[in-house]
Amino acid sequence: MSRLVDVLLGRSRRSEVPIDAIPGAALLWLIGSFALLLLPQWNRLPWWLIAACVVLAGWRWLAQSGRVRLPGRWLRTGIMLVLIGVYLGTVQGRFTVDTAASFFVLAVGLKWLETRSARDFYVLFFILVYLAAVNFLFQQDILWALLTFAAIACLLVGLQVLNAPDLPGSLKAGWKRLGLLMVKTLPVVVLLFVFFPRMAPLWSVPLVSGEARSGISDTMRPGDISNLAQSSERAFRVSFGGPIPEYRDRYWRGLILDYLDGETWRQRDREPFQRPGRVAVDGGIGALASNQYDVLLEPTDQRWAFSLENSIAVSDNVFDAGEDLFRFRRPADSPVRYRLAIDPGQTRPGSELTQAVRQRYLQLPGEGNPRARALASELAGQYSPAQVVNELMQRFRNEEYYYTLRPPAMPNDGVDTLLFEEQRGFCAHYAGAATFVFRAAGIPSRVVVGYQGGDAGAGGDYLIVRQYDAHAWVEVWLEGRGWVRVDPTAAIAPDRIEFGLREAMAEEGSFLENNLTSPQRYGDLAVLQWASLQLDRINYHWQRWVVGYQGQSQMNLMSRLPGGIGMKELGYITAGLVGFALLVAGLVSALSMTRGARQDGFRRVVGSWHRLCEQAGVPVRSGETPVVLAERMAEARPSVAESARIFARTVNSHYYSSASTRQADDDTRRLRRLLKTMKRQLKRNQETGSRMPKHD
Amino acid sequence: MGMITRKLRQRWQHWINRRVPRGDSQTFSQKNIFILPTGAGVVFGVLLLIMLITGINYQNSLIYLLTFILGALFVGAMHQTHRNLSGLTLALIQPGEGEAGDDVPFRFRVTAGKDSGLAIALSVVDSKLEGVHVPAGQARDVILPIPSAHRGYLRPDKVRIETRFPFGLLKAWSWLRPSSAGIAYPRPLVAPEVISQVDDGSEARSSAPVAGQDNADLRPWREGDMSQRVMWKRFARSGQMVVADWEGEQGSPHWLDFNAFPGADTELRLSYLAWLVADRLQKGAKFGLNLPGEVIEPDTGPIHGDRCLRALAVWGEKPPREQDALPFGTRKTVDGATAGGSV
Repeated sequence: MSRLVDVLLGRSRRSEVPIDAIPGAALLWLIGSFALLLLPQWNRLPWWLIAACVVLAGWRWLAQSGRVRLPGRWLRTGIMLVLIGVYLGTVQGRFTVDTAASFFVLAVGLKWLETRSARDFYVLFFILVYLAAVNFLFQQDILWALLTFAAIACLLVGLQVLNAPDLPGSLKAGWKRLGLLMVKTLPVVVLLFVFFPRMAPLWSVPLVSGEARSGISDTMRPGDISNLAQSSERAFRVSFGGPIPEYRDRYWRGLILDYLDGETWRQRDREPFQRPGRVAVDGGIGALASNQYDVLLEPTDQRWAFSLENSIAVSDNVFDAGEDLFRFRRPADSPVRYRLAIDPGQTRPGSELTQAVRQRYLQLPGEGNPRARALASELAGQYSPAQVVNELMQRFRNEEYYYTLRPPAMPNDGVDTLLFEEQRGFCAHYAGAATFVFRAAGIPSRVVVGYQGGDAGAGGDYLIVRQYDAHAWVEVWLEGRGWVRVDPTAAIAPDRIEFGLREAMAEEGSFLENNLTSPQRYGDLAVLQWASLQLDRINYHWQRWVVGYQGQSQMNLMSRLPGGIGMKELGYITAGLVGFALLVAGLVSALSMTRGARQDGFRRVVGSWHRLCEQAGVPVRSGETPVVLAERMAEARPSVAESARIFARTVNSHYYSSASTRQADDDTRRLRRLLKTMKRQLKRNQETGSRMPKHD
Repeated sequence: MGMITRKLRQRWQHWINRRVPRGDSQTFSQKNIFILPTGAGVVFGVLLLIMLITGINYQNSLIYLLTFILGALFVGAMHQTHRNLSGLTLALIQPGEGEAGDDVPFRFRVTAGKDSGLAIALSVVDSKLEGVHVPAGQARDVILPIPSAHRGYLRPDKVRIETRFPFGLLKAWSWLRPSSAGIAYPRPLVAPEVISQVDDGSEARSSAPVAGQDNADLRPWREGDMSQRVMWKRFARSGQMVVADWEGEQGSPHWLDFNAFPGADTELRLSYLAWLVADRLQKGAKFGLNLPGEVIEPDTGPIHGDRCLRALAVWGEKPPREQDALPFGTRKTVDGATAGGSV
């Protein structure tokens, strides 16, 4: 029994590497870096995984101080099997980059339990570096990026501590050394970043994560969009070449819902299946023309691109999908930039609807909502289609309809309940109900889902469209005019369309009421608003110029440089840069060496002394101390005896004292003088024969 | 095949030896510092490649950026690691003495140039000393135990100096090829109690200078002579300090004689003698040492003892010459004795 406990607790008889082979300070930096690297993934990882990582890393840390033991092989295997089992249960066979990244985190967590030697430390270092790269797949905001780079810095400091654990003051020096190294290498990094050719992906792996992203979806039930209204997450940002359109004209069309299935609006035709692949993340070259606009879309995992009415595609990562809608060729799994242009002269195709299409836009469920149908046939009996539309809008405008984020539940015959009883609803309710009435009245119509509005970012050079700007409205087909936008919300709550949701909900006080952490919620705190917008601006430029610096942006920049620089030239430039950097590093160290050459002055003068002795017939023996050599010299040439002894003493004191550089220089000078004296003495001695010379 | 590799190795050795000339002091510079990635450094390079491919595949600029930063740091670290050694001077300031088979402590001095030398390791084949830090412009004395294999001169061919600071991804190294040798005494073995008195010994060589003449041998005073043996009367008379070396009298010095162990081989005899020296020293007795070709007159005290042990250690051995490329007396010599006849 006690054997078993021993094995489980790691008291194995095998002599394992002692736990303190890694200095505690180094381990602490490693754990700290791990914690930092987990932060950007906090909302992506399952909670149990984060908890497991905290426990495992904490265990390792406690083991370092000897308070607990690391688990033995059996317990370790057990923990591993349990965690992997939980993992497999969580992912349920889905294999995506997201689940792979989670597994990677799990592997890092498990590795803590077997981190004993410096080698394990390096293994952890490597996987943590790669974890940082994985982080960048999911989080590219500037603050998260800075956090990740900070984690890398901690890792590198940890390495320094590992390599010189007993060096006093090593931490401060380590940061300083790292900082200096970064500053020195910064130019090379910048040049490499700019010039390294951005190749097309070697193979395509979709980055679709399993989690649901907030954003509009391709189905709409009456309550759906009011949930989105509680989120102030960014949907996309737009910058315009020309003037920014009026608030009320900022209708961002995303997709058309043309099929009513009971209570739910959906698309009649499923989006065609696409082979998984990567979306081209940047589009658009050069300055914006006055009718163009750039959209920087946050990842949606969908293929929808949002556009103003009457747009045409400019960048080649979006295409016209018909019905004035645009689609990416692949799901947008990371931030995507695309460019469109407004072309008012564009005539909408099909001034006539074919019978099939007409049927499609008149589809209704067979039964339900009798009062709405009665109203529709009453209106249709009296008015032309255009007048029917006006009449309904008038009704919304004049009667007591409320625009609210707290609509009541309307389970049965929702349209009837909304129109005739509750008269309270959100845009999705009214858009759905209006389309129902129009169709019942024989007017082809459809629900359009997207965003409406958008606030100016800091500096006013771009718009930020947030999730709470999500909106649904109606388009009706009128003979001779084609598809016409009709927005019931504009009739009921004009503030929503003119100023946005905040104003529309001012009375009700329900704007972002469930979202306490959103800065947008506290619109009256000017400082907070300002800070949030400034941060967004930094992020926007970060996204635009650093994160979004990809193939086309690079080619765009290169095309402005003289001499047509293509992919091949970029390759040459990169190779040249790396070579140049190495050369500079070599030159710098060579230069610093020549500056350090005065250290050799001492050796040179000792060398000349040896030569002098040899010339005087006193061979220099190896391993002989300077004093012995001087004594032999003195014996052979008494004329220089005194000088030789002083010389030897000086050499000795140079060897045996930890002298400063200045004193070393003094020593060398003194030795040179002595040497000169001795040469003079020898010469004079030869000339004058036996006469005893005096000493200096 | 084997010959080619040996040739190559010789070439390589020759090339290194030109760059690292033999001498007790060596200043490291561009010329003689070698630098290569460590195993971890190689893995790091592979990791950077994988990260670059990840960056390309996911068109992720930040992964590109991270890769370039780490790559540039790697090159910067190369410079840093190199600078850690360059300008540094390693000097052997005191070759050690010890018993054969033991680790003999050699004292080295590491003097930093204008850059600090941090986390420096000194090593010979079987021995390593890590974590030497020398701030810029200062010096540190360190002791590196050199394992000895047998009696005689002890000189490692190369003392390796290495640093992996700051990140352990690169190692810069060089060597000191000391010219001075330490000494390994014979390992003492308890000797059979045959104490030869030189004048008794039938085989004693008559050439021994002090053997079998007068019962008192007069000689001038030397440092270390005991004052009760100075002939003070003579001093009062003539002013000369003369010491009497008594022979053949009660309490006269014992001779430790190489020839006292017939049948034993040379090394064994030396081991016996080493034990006897230690034994006499411990008892505080007076003794002399008689080796073929070398005689140490009777005396007492630790200085005398060391002198005797040294004589035993190097008896019949030639000091290592400058040009000898092979280590002397370290375990490597024994293990690799076939590598080439040097002595």
